[in-house]
Amino acid sequence: MDIIYLIKIGEIILKLGNRREFEDRLRYDLKRRLSGIPARIEISVGRYFLHTGEEHAPAVELILSRTPGVNGFAKAFKREKNMDEIAAAAVLAAREASDGGASSFKVESRRSDKSFPLDSYAISAAVGEIILEKVPALRVDVRNPDVVINVEIRDKAFIYGRVQVGQKGLPVGVSGKGLLLLSGGIDSPVAGWMMAKRGLSIEALYFHAYPYTSDEALGKVKRLAELVADYAGEVKLHVASFTEVQLAIKKRADESRTTLYMRGAMMRVAHRVAAMSGAHSIITGESLGQVASQTAENLRFTGSFTDLAILRPLVGIDKEDTIRMAKAIGTYETSILPFEDCCVLFSPRHPILKAVLDEERKAYDAMELDPLLDETILSMLTFRYGF
Amino acid sequence: MPNIYLDWASTAPPHIDILETALRAAAADPANPSSIHAGGKSARAVFEKARDGLAACLGTEPCKVFFTSGGSEADAIPILALLRRRRAGSIVLSAIEHPAAFEQALVLERFGWKVRIVKPGPNGILDPGALVQAVEQDTELVICMAVNNETGAIQPVARLAEALSGIAGKRPRLVCDAVQALGKIPFDPERLGVDCASFSAHKIGGPRGIGALYSRTPIESLMVGGGQERGVRPGTENLQGAVGFALASARSVNGLEESRLRARDLMERLLVGIRSISGALAMPPSRSPCDDRFSPWLASLSFPGLAAETTVRLMSDSGYFLSAGSACSSGKKERRVLDAMGIPEELSLASVRVSIGPATTTDEIDGALAAFDEIYHRYKT
Repeated sequence: MDIIYLIKIGEIILKLGNRREFEDRLRYDLKRRLSGIPARIEISVGRYFLHTGEEHAPAVELILSRTPGVNGFAKAFKREKNMDEIAAAAVLAAREASDGGASSFKVESRRSDKSFPLDSYAISAAVGEIILEKVPALRVDVRNPDVVINVEIRDKAFIYGRVQVGQKGLPVGVSGKGLLLLSGGIDSPVAGWMMAKRGLSIEALYFHAYPYTSDEALGKVKRLAELVADYAGEVKLHVASFTEVQLAIKKRADESRTTLYMRGAMMRVAHRVAAMSGAHSIITGESLGQVASQTAENLRFTGSFTDLAILRPLVGIDKEDTIRMAKAIGTYETSILPFEDCCVLFSPRHPILKAVLDEERKAYDAMELDPLLDETILSMLTFRYGF
Repeated sequence: MPNIYLDWASTAPPHIDILETALRAAAADPANPSSIHAGGKSARAVFEKARDGLAACLGTEPCKVFFTSGGSEADAIPILALLRRRRAGSIVLSAIEHPAAFEQALVLERFGWKVRIVKPGPNGILDPGALVQAVEQDTELVICMAVNNETGAIQPVARLAEALSGIAGKRPRLVCDAVQALGKIPFDPERLGVDCASFSAHKIGGPRGIGALYSRTPIESLMVGGGQERGVRPGTENLQGAVGFALASARSVNGLEESRLRARDLMERLLVGIRSISGALAMPPSRSPCDDRFSPWLASLSFPGLAAETTVRLMSDSGYFLSAGSACSSGKKERRVLDAMGIPEELSLASVRVSIGPATTTDEIDGALAAFDEIYHRYKT
């Protein structure tokens, strides 16, 4: 346990009413993610400290960088509260930053232990002077420094330089559970990640239409669930076989309505799976106008199959921005694997763009799909990823 | 459930006895055929005997046969050799080439070469006149395969060679990918009048990792190294591969007439059977069950309303192995060859390739037809 990470938490501070619950959640979440790694978490005066061994630093940093609710974190030196030790550690942190390419710095100090003889200003001045002397490659820039060397005087002195950015947002679970409609595409994993950052724990539902979609496509979705679990901590993936439903729709519905009704049927299954798994919301990767089934009218139609909140975090996001996010969270390369089939054979040539709710619901109901949907739910398989 | 192999055009199950003989030959002469000691000379003799054998199958002289790592490399050598020219010129490329030739030829564009692409007719057969018409003063190569690997369409290579000889000015070289021809239909590069032709051993039951390039005149290859294969293809000689290739080509060429007639019967049975499956059709639709314009070893079949990948998957589940288009292009959505023929997307994306071999039986064809019928009716969308 020779190193300490100082973890900065963000919105938790704002939500004073629930603060205790949020703190407990984050601590619990971090503990589960860190299982198998010798590490200890300590909360003191609004600060999280994580003690671990140097050899575990890469694994710990990866976890901290992916945990919602963590704003940022810094590898800190813990020292006795005397200026010699503090200055020596500050020089180490400054040297690390300089080696990493920084050429300017400033020192910021905070003193929650008011018995310490120097005030914040005096600590910064003294430490800054020593850094200038010992690390000549660094110059002072108080307005726009490459690195801020922080000194915090608490029960001990904590000194750290570079702060690594975290996911921010809320700890997973504080907002309850959401059921993510996960496909093999680019959008839905990003949507899942975004909602995990808003404090939802995630279960996912994938509609598999073998033989029209391949087992490789299912493998890809499993991998995506695993990647979302890197952020959400844990993802339970339900796989529902949709082949018979799709064939029935193809047979019973007007060609221009097949995709619309299929999405309606998916939403109906999702509603029931959500109820079974205790989810209070359904998450989709839909973006307004991206494809024919995602017009406002058609979203209203699919939305009519559930009274749960439908969360569409990408609804106003441009595709290229979604792609940028998918690349940043590491799902893009998997999403673009070429296991999607030639959907041209299944999708209508001229899909309906503006569904009139009452009419389409009537036509949908006339297909009497419910027995097939029951079978779909009964034969569902579940896989678990993360932790 | 027995697995029935109907993907011979991707690769043929190897003749085990040939692989064994080739391995023993290479083990008995382990020295490098380019070494000048007695061991090397002995290995060289075995290697050259293999070249003699392959040359005899091709009806040519051994000095015109160069071993390569496979068909793709043999396709690439004459194309890439153009990059040694001081000035970029042009090439004429058929739109239905195997990617090994097609994609390689397109690379030349990045070096300032003009590539003129010529499409076939709706039957997948190129018109020699159209290819010759695309030739200009600076044209160095005309690239046209012998047998198309997706449709089986036999290309009029001899007529093309003749037409090229008739043009005024410098005659461009005719480069011919004959990977689906060797041992499957009569193919004699000298008689046909091609300048280069490429071959692959594993398509006829030989080992993988060995192919050959026939070149009527010397080639100054882009790739250099130890000077093996008279500088055309540097790299330590693949003795085991060469011996295996020579044996496999001898076996397939010697038995060609008999096996081709058998294949013709089987293909007729398949194509007649397909006609009885409502909605299914051969690609191109103009191919008749006994159509000598096509190789009897492979056929493209379309099941409109069922994606090619889905058909392949379902047939695989039923124990029949075939390809969606060529195996090399599986996973890609475009169907370049069928597109070039003007086949509509609902047919091209639903097309699979069935390819047979000397070991294919009538029972296997009948079984495949029954499976196609069942699958198509159950899953057609």
